[in-house]
Amino acid sequence: MIEVQPDLDVGGLTVQFGGLVAVNRVSLHAAAGAVTGLIGPNGAGKTTIFNACTGVVPCHGGHVRLGDRDLGHLSTASRASHGLGRTFQRMELFDSMTVAENVALGPEAFLAARRPWSQMACSRNQRRDIATRTKEAMDRCGIAPMMRQRVGDLSTGQRRLVELARAMATPFHFLLLDEPSSGLDVVETERFGQIISRFVAETGIGILLVEHDMALVSGVCSYIYVLDFGNLIFQGPCAEVLSSETVRAAYLGSDEITVDETDEVASHA
Amino acid sequence: MSSSSPLLLSRDADGAFTVSRRALMRVGGLVALVIVGLLLTAAFSVGPYVVTGLADGSIYALAALGLVLTYKTSGIFNFAIGAQAAASAYVFYSFRDTVGLPWPVAALFAVILVGLVGSLLLERIAFWLTGASAAMKVVATIALVVLLESVLTGIYGVATIQFTSFLPNKGIHLFGVTILGSQIIVFALAVGATIGLYLFFKRTRLGVSMHAVVDSPTLLALEATNPVVVRRYAWGIGSCFISISGLLLAPALGIDVNIYLLVYISAFGAAAVGAFSSLPITLAAAMGIGITMNVMSDKLSGQTNHVLAELYTQIPFLVLVAALLIVPKARLITRGADAVRKLRPPTTFPTPVLLTGALAGIGLAVAIPFIVEPAYVNQYTTGLGFAVVLISLGLLLWTSGQISLCQMAFAAIGASTFGHATAAGWPWLAALAAAVLVAVAAGGLAAIPSFRLSGVYLAVATFGFGLLLQNLIYPTFLMFGQSDFVSIPRPELLGINATSDRAYYFLALVVAGLCAFAVIGLRRSRLGRLLRGMSDSPLALEAHGANTRLTRLYVFGAAAGLAAVGGVLIAGVTQSAGGTPTGPFGYFNSVVLLAVLAICGSQPIASPVIAAFLFEVIKIYRPFSNAWFSKYEGVFFGFGALAVAVAPGMRLSFAGRRTAARDGRSPVTNRTRLAMRPPVRVSSQGSHP
Repeated sequence: MIEVQPDLDVGGLTVQFGGLVAVNRVSLHAAAGAVTGLIGPNGAGKTTIFNACTGVVPCHGGHVRLGDRDLGHLSTASRASHGLGRTFQRMELFDSMTVAENVALGPEAFLAARRPWSQMACSRNQRRDIATRTKEAMDRCGIAPMMRQRVGDLSTGQRRLVELARAMATPFHFLLLDEPSSGLDVVETERFGQIISRFVAETGIGILLVEHDMALVSGVCSYIYVLDFGNLIFQGPCAEVLSSETVRAAYLGSDEITVDETDEVASHA
Repeated sequence: MSSSSPLLLSRDADGAFTVSRRALMRVGGLVALVIVGLLLTAAFSVGPYVVTGLADGSIYALAALGLVLTYKTSGIFNFAIGAQAAASAYVFYSFRDTVGLPWPVAALFAVILVGLVGSLLLERIAFWLTGASAAMKVVATIALVVLLESVLTGIYGVATIQFTSFLPNKGIHLFGVTILGSQIIVFALAVGATIGLYLFFKRTRLGVSMHAVVDSPTLLALEATNPVVVRRYAWGIGSCFISISGLLLAPALGIDVNIYLLVYISAFGAAAVGAFSSLPITLAAAMGIGITMNVMSDKLSGQTNHVLAELYTQIPFLVLVAALLIVPKARLITRGADAVRKLRPPTTFPTPVLLTGALAGIGLAVAIPFIVEPAYVNQYTTGLGFAVVLISLGLLLWTSGQISLCQMAFAAIGASTFGHATAAGWPWLAALAAAVLVAVAAGGLAAIPSFRLSGVYLAVATFGFGLLLQNLIYPTFLMFGQSDFVSIPRPELLGINATSDRAYYFLALVVAGLCAFAVIGLRRSRLGRLLRGMSDSPLALEAHGANTRLTRLYVFGAAAGLAAVGGVLIAGVTQSAGGTPTGPFGYFNSVVLLAVLAICGSQPIASPVIAAFLFEVIKIYRPFSNAWFSKYEGVFFGFGALAVAVAPGMRLSFAGRRTAARDGRSPVTNRTRLAMRPPVRVSSQGSHP
């Protein structure tokens, strides 16, 4: 039976860097059990929203809620231990470790946050749980065959999968994925979309996806938010967004946005 | 619309001059500060001390400006500025006093040899360190300190060389205070240098390029600016400033490299207040440090309490540590942090190889008291103590990616606490436990800077922490006291008398072995995995819920506890402990140990054991047992550590990067050049050109 997972609710989020308003009163709702897209040109503020949601940069207004819990005042580690997980646009991996060690350290770090002394030692049950989660996540992402390889030696696409597997192995309630397909080829991206869709269907957790690859976005997202210059300029179901004049103007100038033009979209972004 | 230039006057779009409001406020603030300063000086009658303080501060400012300039442009924090300045003063002394040249010529030679020629060497080292990890950057400049200190004391001896003044000493009288010509010259030099550098950075193409070169030399090359030339200018100017400051300091202090190393912490402090970036704030901070030290020396001159009487000498260390704890984290930008090569993990060996090696090592260690001369057993026991301290340093550096330059301070805390506990009648084991606990608490305190600092800033903070402990706490009753002596008895444990040298060696071997096993266990535990993760990516660890502040607290505590055990073992050899800077617990040993450990690799146990052998034991064997080696051992350690730090960069250079960067080329410009070549004619037969 699928566990009921919380929604992510962001309201009036504002982030400033000195005098620059990078994110201006952005509100969005990402439902559990679905993949919600967050798109926009480079510099639109997508990653800044992720950083603000996870406490990497401070918010200057608004709220971030995971289910009923307000995460606004918590540190990055506390937000993660409350179930808000993420991946990074510039991958943050443990390069000196193997693939299996990388994936296992996700749930291990999560469990270490329970008590101050939880960092010291690990119970036998926890060890078993970590091993199960690690194996499942590696199988899910198809990286089990390379489990003994050092992550620093892998290609970008393989590293993306390791980062995704680590996030999937950790018992998060909601995931923020930041451009997870950048550096992947067409076949890898297609497989990536299948992995995400299957994971959401099986676990019921929600995903907020920042992505430039419109083929991936249109394939997995049920609802899309469009950001430009820190402002939310459009939102709606996938088809509506793809046919919107406003989105086309922001993203591509006046050209029509189609799924077939994904390469062009990516290059413009 | 006028630009937001920080200069007082700027041109708007029409070319007309406008006054920057922000700059006007700054100038107003500065004027107000000067007026308040003058009023306070008059009220407390400290005019002469303020004048001397301004002159001293000017010298610190010159060095700090050199430090900031090179850090801004290369990302290398030059720990060796004190040694470099001392080298300059020694060369000046040689040419002026030994050769008999006129002082301007001697000074010019010193600046050319140490400032300019030295800058070429430093620029090369900085280039090879581009992309090196923060730990290796620290190791490289620390190695330079060790190398230069050894060379200079080897050539010129350890005694302070008295040096007569060379600048005019005729003075003018102003508001009842005599201001010497030398003081005016030094002050004008510092202020002029700051204004000149400030304008240079803001207004000249080369100055702007210096900002860019650390972050992206390739992009700079694309703009037809040779990054190597830019870096050479920066190192040239910075090194000359440091060299000149060394000359100016000589008449007041005499020439002694160990004194210079400490005095130049003032420059570190001033640069830290300016967030290692702002030149005017650095200048103001250096002046502030100079004035405060001089005024306090007057006000505290009658104090009978040793700590209070000497407090003024600690101002630079206090400023350094306080600035690193207070300056907003966002302002402490880690220069050149992009595209950093991660430290390679230590090579893992198959279990049979490890077991065989461990058994052979243990067998050899057990046999040592029976195969070496009895007089040398104590040297091996001290080596075991240092091995434990080095294991603790390795745990911090190689496992968790934290840098500590105060490890011997933790060892000293351990030794002194142990001495106090045994003096109070505690049994040996209980006293050892107390030593560990107190050191763990001190380690927790030292971990606080690591909550907000990493890399080079953490290294600087721990360096300051170690110096503060040495100068402020070592002489108090809490540690070694005014007498600088604490008795460290050897035990009778479980009915076994360990008071003889051989028995004490075996006790030390057992304790060191237990420490090694504890570290192996820790590395294999959850904490060990978190530490390795933190070394690679603290952000990833936090994004999965782990509180890395807690992780840092634990690792600093564990390392301090281990170092305390090492300290007790070391002190037990002589059955006494003291805190003299030249003794085993002196701050400089923390620096040397880092260099020696870097030479020996990153294995958690084997590397520290080999490092301890090199540091402590090798000197009893030929050809290292002669006076020449003990005089110049720092040269070997420094050169070795420097070679280890720069070797990966040198390998990359030989692969072609160096030539490309020197020519101002990059792969992108090469492609452009290729694209602009006339098309190659292909013969009609279709053969390849």
